[in-house]
Amino acid sequence: MKEKLEQILKNGLQETENAKDLKTLDDVRVKYLGKTGELTQILRGMKDIAPEDRKEVGIVANKVREALETALSEKLARLEEEKLQADMEKEKVDITEPGKGTKRGALHPLSRFNNKFIEICVEMGFTVIQGPEIETDYYNFEALNVPKNHPARDMQDSFYITDNILMRTQTSNMQIRAMEKMKPPFKVVCPGRVYRNDSDSSHSPIFNQFEALVIDENVGLKDLMMMIKEILKRLFGDNIKIRVRPSYFPFTEPSIEIDATCQMCGGKGCNLCKGTGFSEFFAAGVVNPKVLEMAGIDSKKYSGFAFGPGIDRSVMVTNKIPNIKYLFRNDMRFLKQMR
Amino acid sequence: MKVSYNWLKDFVDLDVSAKEVADKLTVSGLEVEDLIYQNEHLHDVYVSKIQKIEKHTEADRLVVCKVDVGFKTVQIITSATNVFEGATVPVALDGADLCNGVQIKPTNFRGVPSEGMFCSGEELGIDENYFEGAGINGILILPNDFKPGTKIEDALMLNDVVLDINVTPNRPDCNSVVGIAHELCAMYDKQFKDFDVSYKTVGDDVKKYISVDVATANCPRYMAAFVKNIKLERSPLWLRSRLFAVGIKPINTMVDITNYVLIEQGQPMHAFDYRFLEGKKIEVRQARKGEKVAVLNGNTYDLDEDVMVIADAKKPVVIAGVIGGVNSAIEKDTTESVFECAVFDLKSVRLTAKKFGLRTDSSARYEKGVNINSPTLALRRALHLVNQLDCGQIVDGLIDKCSQPLGEVKTVKGSYSKICKILGVEISKEKMLQILNGLGIKTTINGDQLVCQPPILREDIQNDNDLAEEIIRIYGYDVYNNIEGGLFENSSITIGEYEPRLVFENNLKNIMVDEGFYETLNYSLYTAQACDKLLLGKDDERRKVIKIANPISEDMSTARTVMAHALLLDVAYNLSVGNKELRLFEVGRVYQPKELPLTELPEEHNRLSFAVCETGYDFFNLKAVVENLLVGTSLKYKLERSKEPYLHSGVSADIVAEDGKVVGWFGKIHKNVLKNYEISQDVYYGELDTDYLSSLPEKKYETKEISKFPPVERDIAVVVDEKVSNAELVSAIRSACGKLFFDVSLFDVYRSSALGEGKKSMAYKIVFMSEDKTLTGDEINNLTNKVLKSLAFRYGAELRSI
Repeated sequence: MKEKLEQILKNGLQETENAKDLKTLDDVRVKYLGKTGELTQILRGMKDIAPEDRKEVGIVANKVREALETALSEKLARLEEEKLQADMEKEKVDITEPGKGTKRGALHPLSRFNNKFIEICVEMGFTVIQGPEIETDYYNFEALNVPKNHPARDMQDSFYITDNILMRTQTSNMQIRAMEKMKPPFKVVCPGRVYRNDSDSSHSPIFNQFEALVIDENVGLKDLMMMIKEILKRLFGDNIKIRVRPSYFPFTEPSIEIDATCQMCGGKGCNLCKGTGFSEFFAAGVVNPKVLEMAGIDSKKYSGFAFGPGIDRSVMVTNKIPNIKYLFRNDMRFLKQMR
Repeated sequence: MKVSYNWLKDFVDLDVSAKEVADKLTVSGLEVEDLIYQNEHLHDVYVSKIQKIEKHTEADRLVVCKVDVGFKTVQIITSATNVFEGATVPVALDGADLCNGVQIKPTNFRGVPSEGMFCSGEELGIDENYFEGAGINGILILPNDFKPGTKIEDALMLNDVVLDINVTPNRPDCNSVVGIAHELCAMYDKQFKDFDVSYKTVGDDVKKYISVDVATANCPRYMAAFVKNIKLERSPLWLRSRLFAVGIKPINTMVDITNYVLIEQGQPMHAFDYRFLEGKKIEVRQARKGEKVAVLNGNTYDLDEDVMVIADAKKPVVIAGVIGGVNSAIEKDTTESVFECAVFDLKSVRLTAKKFGLRTDSSARYEKGVNINSPTLALRRALHLVNQLDCGQIVDGLIDKCSQPLGEVKTVKGSYSKICKILGVEISKEKMLQILNGLGIKTTINGDQLVCQPPILREDIQNDNDLAEEIIRIYGYDVYNNIEGGLFENSSITIGEYEPRLVFENNLKNIMVDEGFYETLNYSLYTAQACDKLLLGKDDERRKVIKIANPISEDMSTARTVMAHALLLDVAYNLSVGNKELRLFEVGRVYQPKELPLTELPEEHNRLSFAVCETGYDFFNLKAVVENLLVGTSLKYKLERSKEPYLHSGVSADIVAEDGKVVGWFGKIHKNVLKNYEISQDVYYGELDTDYLSSLPEKKYETKEISKFPPVERDIAVVVDEKVSNAELVSAIRSACGKLFFDVSLFDVYRSSALGEGKKSMAYKIVFMSEDKTLTGDEINNLTNKVLKSLAFRYGAELRSI
């Protein structure tokens, strides 16, 4: 009997080992451990075994059963794992196929730039304001120290609607509106659209500006420069270099223009910066005391500074946009590059 | 303004290159936009003498010349017919790169070598006005006293460098050579070399010849002098060279003198031919309606009271400050002339120049402001030149009609500490004194007070800020390039705030981007035809448009009142270049006047607009976008059939707020509108009023307890008439379910002939849930039956059986 059991164990283990799939393995289980299985038969026939052998045969038979069961279940686990692997192999997808569902669109580069700029300014304590694009001559020119027929009007060809109302030529109109409304000290920033009757092909008659104004006691050119440096660092990183040039705006005195490392070429020199490595970034200056007085602010007590970046140009250099016309053309081949 | 470098050197000793001077001017506020080297295309061209001319043996039209170029003799083949033995001519040798693009290399003509080329005036960039013989179609024959071997640029005085300077409107004094020379003196700490204004007269009396009457407030000063026995000639080469360098055509001595003074002193002048001044009289007055004047540009202008003229006893002869008339201009045989040297009001000249579209060297200066003191020296300078060129005799006396006090030296008081505060950098009092005095601003400092006397022409210097600018531009703005300090060293801390509408718009923009849309930027000026293209009705408020008085083009002549035009153009453009699957949006403004013509500022409305042109896209895709845009707002709205004329009347909706205001609309674009934009595919379009939506209170989120009992779903499909809406069915289902209603959703709409004409099947998933028990199968069945009965009763709905 013992030999028989050992034979069963040997055969059983061998067959289990040989089983290549779940069906065959189950057949092995049935053959030995099923209701009419070889081992089951022996275990059921224990009562026919001589009582003196019964205990020993019983121990051996149970050991054989345990061994078989263990082998079978281990094999089962292995086969199941293999099947799972095989199935997954079959279900393998081409991971390079495109994703499904709605694909995100994109913001216009101008919005991206404006958002970043506004965020920087608000963090530095500026309040964002908005105002009219169709403006009176007073806010657009006169209150900014450009009386009617002043030669400085030649600097900005305007789209007139009536003698007294025009498309604003600069967001500087908001300087006056802010000064009239707010109590110093304050800091405001105004992004917006401006209009110039400029038929030059390299200029768009409608473009974007950004006006920032600080009114406080005791501020001057140095404070302006510190603020501009901070903004440029946050926009372009710590390595940005700046260069200050004199300029003229009727509403600031002194007036300056600030160049920064050209973002198109990284300062190496390119067509855009005419090889200088710098491109114009801000027009700025100390608020002309005449402008403060006209807006009802005591110029003896308060001073101020204003600055505005050329937004469209900045958007161009930060995104390396090859042609300014792309900004308003809305060609999907361009817009998709902003995703 | 163009300035000659050689001319500047008349007034200031410059020992640096023109390039250095240009850079220095630029960093001090006079931006040099361009540097033009007159000799750029004149290298390797020399004065030469033709020694011998022989026929070319192989070509009838060519001759072989032996030419002395001073330092060697060369052989040149030419086809020119005006050369002769002994002629002095310009020769371009190997390496020359002439004005017309011709490059010279040794070559040979039919076997005979040629080492260079004779030049015409055109090839040297000059014309007959500049040099006699330069205008002919042939070789420029030079005077015999020109020495072979001389560089042509020296022989013809074409060795100047021209600085093209952008003079800012606050510095009218710099619209002159002397003005810029004064600046250079301050920058290089040099003494200004004064110009000569002395002249000799020949007796007689100006009053005998001419009287001047100023009958307008627009002419604060009119000076005149009289020159007789004029011999008109070509001006000497040095004078022609100066004028030519700055782009002025040399004509004759008298005219050239007026132009010379204009450029050098910044004072426009005019010379009249005395023969044609009727009544020996000059009258400065406003023109009378109906008067005309023919001027030097060939045009005749109709005048009116707004135009100031110089007239004689009978007729206008000059548009004052702008352009001279034909009837009194200097002619070849002029022998007597009146010199005018006047100050005209800048506004008057500006308006006249604008009115006639005339911009002359004279008007350009008057528009920027000519100082009341300017004629005093300028007229004398002109008379000095008359003596110098020996072109006429000056009679005794000057006429000077001046209605304003001549400028006195004004005193401007400044504060040292305030100036330092404005600049934020410490500049010593000594340095300030040096800079200001160098600029001709006579300054003393007592304690904190600066007492300054700016030159008479520097009217722009009035306060501390002006003084600060003068100081820093000479001190050097580069001090700021690497300045260190605290960000808020001198300024107060303020709390930053976003603008609520901007924040709201940004949220919408991000939703649009998530929905697959691309942001566009469109012009807010458009064509007046947009309203027609969009089929707006005759009485549509949006036809009341604001027109630009001076538009660039019809396409940009009108402030937009409708957003849709721009996106439809964008769609059309993209389709035309082969771009497909378009989802575009814009955040922008429309401008609605209250009344026309505008007397007050119009309303500016902010809008979000969006358009889709995509295969398989339909109204409900667009509706989902609208819902996603609105779900985060507190807006309570209903949809109504849209009244927008440019939308398909059956496939569009208005979004109506509780207060009845239409706050948006969306739908399919009308077929006829598509035609107007030449779009051949369906376009879906929508728009939201962001002013209204951003002004709503923030949406409040209040939540309820989640039921412990499970929800149960049942699907039903009912057949109803087409005219029954989903909203009606949903509302009926909701009310039939009462308290046990949890959710309902339409998941299928089916139409077929089997259902019958005008019928549709609507399939709903209804979710029931109780707050306090698990619903049994019977309860659910009863509820479902109740729903079906209600739908049958209200809308004739039948349970779908097929």
